[in-house]
Amino acid sequence: MTSLHRFFLSFLLALGVLVSPLFLPVLRATNEPTITIRKSDALNVSFSGIGGSDGSAASKVLQNDLNLAGWFALVQPGMASFTVSGVMSGGVLQGVVKKGTELVLSKNYTGNPRIAAHQFADDIVQTLTGHRGIATSLIAFVCNRSGRKEIYMADYDGANGRQLTHDNALSVSPSLSPNGRRIAYTGYQAGYADIYVIDLTTGSRIRLVKFPGTNSGPRFGPDGNEIACTMSKDGNPEIYIVGLGGGVHRVTRGRGSKSCATWSPNGSEIIYACDETGVPQLFRVTSRGGIGQQIVTGYGYCTEPNWSPDGQRIAFNVRSGGEFVIAVLDLVSGGGARIVGKGENPVWGADSRHLAYSTGGTISLLDVPTGKSFPIIAGLGKVTEPSWSR
Amino acid sequence: MRFHSITILTAAALLGLTGCANKKNKQYAGIDGDYVNGTPLGERPAGANFLGANVQRGLYAPVQFAFDSSSVAPDQESKVVAVADALKGNGRTVIVAGFTDERGTEEYNRSLGDKRALAVREALIAKGMQANNVQTVSFGKEMPVDSASNDAAWAKNRRAEFGVVK
Repeated sequence: MTSLHRFFLSFLLALGVLVSPLFLPVLRATNEPTITIRKSDALNVSFSGIGGSDGSAASKVLQNDLNLAGWFALVQPGMASFTVSGVMSGGVLQGVVKKGTELVLSKNYTGNPRIAAHQFADDIVQTLTGHRGIATSLIAFVCNRSGRKEIYMADYDGANGRQLTHDNALSVSPSLSPNGRRIAYTGYQAGYADIYVIDLTTGSRIRLVKFPGTNSGPRFGPDGNEIACTMSKDGNPEIYIVGLGGGVHRVTRGRGSKSCATWSPNGSEIIYACDETGVPQLFRVTSRGGIGQQIVTGYGYCTEPNWSPDGQRIAFNVRSGGEFVIAVLDLVSGGGARIVGKGENPVWGADSRHLAYSTGGTISLLDVPTGKSFPIIAGLGKVTEPSWSR
Repeated sequence: MRFHSITILTAAALLGLTGCANKKNKQYAGIDGDYVNGTPLGERPAGANFLGANVQRGLYAPVQFAFDSSSVAPDQESKVVAVADALKGNGRTVIVAGFTDERGTEEYNRSLGDKRALAVREALIAKGMQANNVQTVSFGKEMPVDSASNDAAWAKNRRAEFGVVK
């Protein structure tokens, strides 16, 4: 694990790769407070480090978190609207945020410096912007470093990388439950595509879905107790919902294969890919089951949709000239989708602002409003199919 | 003569209702009273899977597919016939494994490979094999025959293979 750890840490790059920004929409927080963020509206924040005997490690982590958050421009104290500071010793981080002399946030965090810093970072984002932060989240992904495809996990910044499965077969398509406590994936260790669920707190694993045919593409619903997936037991790949405690019901019907289910934030709807028109397109259906309605994206070949936590957008893949690009469609305002970058399997973070995605040898975070991209996992061979907890 | 005609007509209608599996786009009742396209699969053969030692691969030529397609082309049908003719009389089970080339996203390619396996399965059933003796699995873009990135390699990788359970 330590050499893996080193691999991960050595690729914690603060350098962003600038993807040329396209037309940038105004981000509007819906049922959240008042701040409207435009490209030019990054909040000026200064951070001069965390003091105390354990301050150094926490400082590095927090500095990176503030850089990655996207909402902030890190500036000198004289230019800052808000100042971030803190002291860490004896396992306690005392975090402080001020606006001038006014105290905006004062809170203690217990635990190791890394965890404490991440929690502080999320609270800073929540307090200053009203949005949820991504600093305490986890990313699961597929990696073939061992010679076989296995499921791995890391913190969202690439640290604490660890190999989860040792199936020595083909383990793919991971899905973290929103709270990060469980992970489902498609495993071929029995010679068939079956869906397994691991309880990450206990380490126990069950083979949840093993119907005849192919069972794949598990995606946890918002309450973490059920999984949408593709099953072909009835003679055609269709979307079903399977409860962790039992129960299966079919969601889709009609011609074409169905795949790539993604849930709406309240669990009432599912968007999926269906190729009944000859190429895969995106369709929308109530999760109780029914006739899917095609979503107009303005592109042919659309797959791998992912619904943002605020419910407003989907990100998905478009095949364009032999490569895959990432498109974002605003479900609320409509219009066509816009291309935001190159790569596969885009998945939203808790802030509905960042996308994690794969470019073969690297998993990166894309800050959608600015178009800046940050590699977080690299040097492990092929890394694909990221899943991001919320 | 009239009586015979009615009997034949009735028998044909009954066959239609109980779901004779020979036609394309035939509708069957799945769970929850929904209708499906295709023949529901039977249980997997006990103790046998496509990657296992007790399944023989490579006995029959794989069915090849056009790009983005899961239809069994006319020039591929003889491969299906070869398998059906060899196995339909002796109750053997075959596992059809579906594959794609690398040029698709991961999860969609698993469903495309699945559709290819299922299309070959329907064709085997049409040629006389029992539905319960044909199982399927999709590997998507994994396990390519040729790992090069060119048209020739991709054409080889778009396939459905036959694994015969010993």
